[in-house]
Amino acid sequence: MLQYLRNPLTAVWFFLTTITILSWWIGRGQGAEYQLSTLITFSVLLMAAVKAFLVIDWFMEVRHAPRWLKRSTYGWLLLLLLLLLTFYLVRF
Amino acid sequence: MWFFILGDLLIFGVYFVAYMIYRGQDSALFLESQQHLSPGIGVINTVVLLTSSWCLALGTEAARRGKTDDAYRLLASTAVIGALFPILKMVEWVPKILAGYTPGENLFFMYYYVMTGLHLCHVLMGLVIIGFMLRSLKVSPSLDIKFIEAGAIYWHMVDLLWLVLFALFYLMR
Repeated sequence: MLQYLRNPLTAVWFFLTTITILSWWIGRGQGAEYQLSTLITFSVLLMAAVKAFLVIDWFMEVRHAPRWLKRSTYGWLLLLLLLLLTFYLVRF
Repeated sequence: MWFFILGDLLIFGVYFVAYMIYRGQDSALFLESQQHLSPGIGVINTVVLLTSSWCLALGTEAARRGKTDDAYRLLASTAVIGALFPILKMVEWVPKILAGYTPGENLFFMYYYVMTGLHLCHVLMGLVIIGFMLRSLKVSPSLDIKFIEAGAIYWHMVDLLWLVLFALFYLMR
């Protein structure tokens, strides 16, 4: 089973876990310091998008998929990120 | 399977955007309510799903190479690690509900319970599918790799949706 630790998927998992812990560290806080923050929001949403991209690309193996599937999944992620950031900045 | 996955991503995508719009209408309430969540459990659950997805991705590769024993062990690890998610969700939810933070408390908690609850249903369904995948590895005379791949894609989607939920509910300001 040790050969699985040398698999590129292990490096992807390690990177995903590291970003997750980093984003949790950035987003933590309590009380008076817990205010609206464009910097924190943009940071954690961008980090989530990077993680989502890696899951789609490596775990779901979309990097080897037909073009229509690449366009659908990457397009979904990009559109979602843009809409979330836009509606965070533009409030009704 | 991919059409089902894309449909699910679209539906959750609409929920995510709707959540952001409502959040913008009363950000003070959402920020105050968000502080009552447990980001510690949230981050552990994220690592749980990422780790289970990693085992599954390795297991799928092993199955494709015909290493069914390795694939079985890796898929069993996926199931065991993945089963921690609903347990931790209960550890998170029950004290909140007992403390009065129910879905009827406000719009934030309504969204929180509905969206994480819907996601939890996907996790439970995923665990059942992994159970069938394990059975297929153990008992089938010829390995149905398409079934293993389809089940794996579903579980990775569950992981993917949680990454967005974690950022939206626990981390953003």
